[in-house]
Amino acid sequence: MTLRALIADDEPLARALVREFLAAHPQVQVLAEADNGLEAARSIQDLAPDLVFLDIQMPKLTGLEVLQLTGLRRGVIFTTAYDQHALAAFDLHAVDYLLKPFSQQRFDAAMLRAGQLLRTGAPEVERLVAAQTLARVLIRDGTELRVLLLDEVDYIEAQADHVAFHHAGRDHLKAQRISELEAQLDPRRFVRVHRSFIVNLRQVHALERTESSGHAVRLKSGKRIPVSRSGHERLLAVL
Amino acid sequence: MHPLLTHLRGLVAYLSAWVLAGGLLALAWQPEAPAAWTWRLGFLLPLAVFTGMAALALYPVCRSFPFRPARWPGLLARRAVAVGVLALVSGAAAALWNSTGLRWGRDGLVTLPPPAWLALLGVLVVVFAVSALVHDALLAQQALQAAAANEVQARLMAREMELKALRKQLDPHFLFNSLNSISALIPLDPAAARAMTVDLAGFLRQTLSLGERERIRLDEELDLVQHYLAIEQRRLGDKLQVAVEADAACRRAWLPPLVLQPLVENAIKHGIRPLERGGRVDLSARRAGERLVLPVSNPVDAQAPRDATGLGQGLRHLRTRLQTQYDEPAVVDVERTADRHTVRVSLPWHP
Repeated sequence: MTLRALIADDEPLARALVREFLAAHPQVQVLAEADNGLEAARSIQDLAPDLVFLDIQMPKLTGLEVLQLTGLRRGVIFTTAYDQHALAAFDLHAVDYLLKPFSQQRFDAAMLRAGQLLRTGAPEVERLVAAQTLARVLIRDGTELRVLLLDEVDYIEAQADHVAFHHAGRDHLKAQRISELEAQLDPRRFVRVHRSFIVNLRQVHALERTESSGHAVRLKSGKRIPVSRSGHERLLAVL
Repeated sequence: MHPLLTHLRGLVAYLSAWVLAGGLLALAWQPEAPAAWTWRLGFLLPLAVFTGMAALALYPVCRSFPFRPARWPGLLARRAVAVGVLALVSGAAAALWNSTGLRWGRDGLVTLPPPAWLALLGVLVVVFAVSALVHDALLAQQALQAAAANEVQARLMAREMELKALRKQLDPHFLFNSLNSISALIPLDPAAARAMTVDLAGFLRQTLSLGERERIRLDEELDLVQHYLAIEQRRLGDKLQVAVEADAACRRAWLPPLVLQPLVENAIKHGIRPLERGGRVDLSARRAGERLVLPVSNPVDAQAPRDATGLGQGLRHLRTRLQTQYDEPAVVDVERTADRHTVRVSLPWHP
């Protein structure tokens, strides 16, 4: 069986090293290389590789963000030189990773382990990714993939089985359920004020009363968002 | 316990002084009903030694209640009580000792009228008061010495912290990535792998040795930066270009070590790396009046959010470091235009 692989690392030499070590694994065919996180996310979505060598510290998106944003969980082999924060998270969730510089033997062991997990799935990667709060989202702008900083988003609205991110007067649709998204957000920054709405607290101007003695949130942009009773409680708890 | 009691020679000298004082007093003393000088000596010598020992008892009092101007009435009262008690005890001891003369059929060793006893008591009060003063003075001097030693210790610790902070500037991420690059280069280009090893060693050696010194010449710092850039250029390839501009006078100027290196590191990490095509880091040194000005600038992604984390911390760190090094202000400021980021360090000019 051929395994189709992607190598994501911002350093050409680091990618060359992975290619060299892959020579001992003829079943692996390198589909593409990516030199930043956004490029890696694009390749994952377009090519659906079986195996991804993923560096943690990359420009544009970190390796963990690439997983968060693409939903990729299987066949990931993390590589990193030194990143205390990421290493602590890996160890906490018992996720395997290659510490640069690594040997062919260590590389082979990681390949063996990844090969086994391809069949069984990797729940530890699932847990690792779930534990990270989301700071950016990947959106499709026409045919282009773009990164949207969540800090700059005004509010998020549920639309059927999509969510719409409202940013600078525009809507960006993404196929995701709002409750699933809510769980990934920083609860001190984003509050689900209504069944269909999550607001960014940084963009909130005021909390207002409606004529029907309910509540609404007035955003800095002037937009008014309805607030449900339980949403009001959640809002008060954070404020 | 009194320090004299553990210091035999000091104690002997101290008591000898008292014996001498007692002896001289016995010879000089002309009481109303004079006893022979041998009797006077018999009375005064033990009394002098006893008084000398009793005077040492003021040491724990002075030590436990060190003199503070703010609380002087209470502290003075304690000393007065101690002096009074000691004088009475010594006076009583003198009377007791004198009465041993009864054994030889005399009134006492010496015959003293009541006014003379009062005068003796007065002398004892003066002796103990002087003892309290001397103890206070000695303790104050000890406290001063301890404070000075503390200050020296504090300065040493500050220097130690500074060195630790400098060592921290050896970014482990950079080190391990460089080793990884060398590992990758070995089969591809052994000569380049060797050159990179040499550059990395040079960079490490210089960082460690320059960090130990308080001032270095700009030339030495630029040398270190060149090693650093050589490594980064090998890793980033065409993405990284560098322009360095410094005239001979600036190159000879003195500055604290590792001022430029972290700025160049930041410029690459936050400026060049995130840019797809990379760009040029400009590094220069010029003299402006009595100051040495060092601008480091790099291109930035105009679209990228301005959330360059780590940069703020690095700059704050540099600012604090420079503040502890100079009495005059050292300035670190940041300027960002649409597509360029510049950090400017301005230091007092030391040719």
